[in-house]
Amino acid sequence: MNKKKIYSAWFLVPTLVIFTGLFILPMVTSLFFSLTVWDLKNFTFVGLENFKMFFSEGSLNIGIRNTLLYAVIGCSLKVTAGFLIAVFLTSNIRTKNILRSVIFFPNLVSTIAVGITFKALMHPTKGLINSALGAVGLRGADWLGNARTALFSVLSVEAWKGVGVATVIFIAGMQAIDKTYYEAASIDGADGWQKLKNITLPLCRPAMNSVILLAFIGGMRSFDLIWSMTGGGPGFATDVLASVIYKQYAEGFYGLSTAGNVIMFILIAFIAFPLQKFLMKGEVD
Amino acid sequence: MNWKKNGAAALAAVMALTGTAAMTGSGILAEASDGGTAGQEWEYKEDTITMLIDTDTSMAGIQAVCDLAEEKLGITVEIETRVGGPDGRNIVKTRLASGDMADLCGFNSGCLLKELNPSEYFIDLSEEEWAKKLDDTFKDAVTVDGAVYGIPLTATSAGLVLYNKDIYREYNLEVPKTWEDFMANCRTLKDAGETALIGSFGTMWTAQVPYLGDNYNVLSQEPDFAQDFENGSAKYATTPAALRSFEKLAETNEYYNEDYLATTYDDGCDMLVNGEGAHWIILSQALSNIYEIYGDEVNKIGAFAVPGDDANDNGLTVWMPGAWYGNKNSEHIDTIKRFMEFYISEEAIHAYSEAILPEGPYAIKGMELPDNVYGAVKDMQKYYEEGKVGTAMEFQCAVKGANCGAICQECVSGQTDGKTAAQKYDDDCRKQAMQLGIDWE
Repeated sequence: MNKKKIYSAWFLVPTLVIFTGLFILPMVTSLFFSLTVWDLKNFTFVGLENFKMFFSEGSLNIGIRNTLLYAVIGCSLKVTAGFLIAVFLTSNIRTKNILRSVIFFPNLVSTIAVGITFKALMHPTKGLINSALGAVGLRGADWLGNARTALFSVLSVEAWKGVGVATVIFIAGMQAIDKTYYEAASIDGADGWQKLKNITLPLCRPAMNSVILLAFIGGMRSFDLIWSMTGGGPGFATDVLASVIYKQYAEGFYGLSTAGNVIMFILIAFIAFPLQKFLMKGEVD
Repeated sequence: MNWKKNGAAALAAVMALTGTAAMTGSGILAEASDGGTAGQEWEYKEDTITMLIDTDTSMAGIQAVCDLAEEKLGITVEIETRVGGPDGRNIVKTRLASGDMADLCGFNSGCLLKELNPSEYFIDLSEEEWAKKLDDTFKDAVTVDGAVYGIPLTATSAGLVLYNKDIYREYNLEVPKTWEDFMANCRTLKDAGETALIGSFGTMWTAQVPYLGDNYNVLSQEPDFAQDFENGSAKYATTPAALRSFEKLAETNEYYNEDYLATTYDDGCDMLVNGEGAHWIILSQALSNIYEIYGDEVNKIGAFAVPGDDANDNGLTVWMPGAWYGNKNSEHIDTIKRFMEFYISEEAIHAYSEAILPEGPYAIKGMELPDNVYGAVKDMQKYYEEGKVGTAMEFQCAVKGANCGAICQECVSGQTDGKTAAQKYDDDCRKQAMQLGIDWE
């Protein structure tokens, strides 16, 4: 008897309906509306005009550049810092449980609240950061006001907030490593650095891959922190794809903002999937 | 274009009348000449309506009118606030589209109203007897396809330079007649270690005021620019008089306070009245915000129009007030209309001006300014008397760039020069033109 026939194909229907209704249909319609000028009621077909505009206009395409910068730098900051902190927190220190909570804490606070708080802290004249620097005789920068540093100021906050999750994933990965590897290495006379390089690092590759993917995709979609700290400013210096799309949507350019979403979808899909494939290949069992 | 000039002339006439009233030293608010409605009997019927308003609008006057409406008309008003600027516009658009709008919606007049698709959502007031009282220029700013949708939320205001008179006295400065004089004053103040210009660009929309407030100067040199820009035959980047607005914006860069990109609109009010900055290029509604907190100290502040290059032809750029729009899909349409009629009655405007003084002439025919207006409003009055007023671009041209604030913020912070900013603005407007179905190719 063929086992496959026990369940009727009709069992797939609920899933298919939901998947079609909530994913396939919106995707197809958004592809369509990205080719139009649309005010939610009426639309005019304009071909690829919206996409052309998105790539040619400075105030729109800066979002693509900044998004990539933000995702790559944010991701590397989180991976590096998360890994180092995790190594520290899996070592034999007495307060590691408290420290683990502390490092995870920023992640529990609402991103908007974090953004507003850091915006106040980074105020060029009244902010705590510059006041503290002033007290020791240093001159602070205009962290969010200088177009050249603004994106990096936001990135540092992003890393501060996101490193907790990365650390927790790394810790889980490191704890899953069999202790006998370390014992064997110790007997062979390996020092701490060698154990880190040759045991910890390769064996927590799965954890690292998860962190890289999560941080990267999260970075590509980032919006709330940037919006609450700079609103994309000064000018357009910290605009990312999501904030550009939001602004076009808020101004009623629904066709244009849909085109932005399609670009974002393609960008994430075309980077995230190959990235995942590439990372999985390097994993060690 | 003609009616627009007439509209400005009507306002000028109102102001001239006010001048006379002031000279004769009549009461706080002179009676309207064409038979006022003070003491009018109002129908009392209890009902509750909701209103949605942005937080940048001074609330004291609106609250006073609402209190009076509750007493006289039995209408209880529940006030709900939202943020201003693009985020606020998004809230309004989303709530309209989702059918979740309050009974009364406070929103800009002029070209921004057209974006809302008003015929879909708002009550047409053109048949109402009392809508005839609306000033013509204002009425045009709330009319879309022949239907009138709004009543003025506040008095008119202007985009202008507010200055601290104490600082001017201390440094023996004169009110500048040209842009060159203005920059010279700023230079003097800067050399003396003062903050010559207040930048409040932490609130992004304030960055566009120097450009927008320069519109009189642009149109006095290129009278057809607004129309030509709308139909796509003229551009900011290639029209010298218009380009000048952005060049001037770029020139101001060196004179701002150190934290000009983090300072907010509210901070700016404090700085100006406390003498922490000499000039602030802003909308005259700031006077009310200052008055609410500092009372009579507001009279330390004087005003002049954004200077142009020609000393003999410099004038004030005027904004029509935002408006109340009635929700067409509300269950309280009658109450909304009763409230609207009351809101623009003389009685209500009296109550309003007792709580908060107007920042410019009213947009109601026959209503005169009280003679205890702010000193800065008296300075503005001179421009009205000379007929040197014109409305801002958004009341003369359907196209306004969505990213105007950000483009100006970028320019004023020295990231782009005037020419680039003008080009960017032209590009930005193209999106709006496309959306409105105007062919710009």
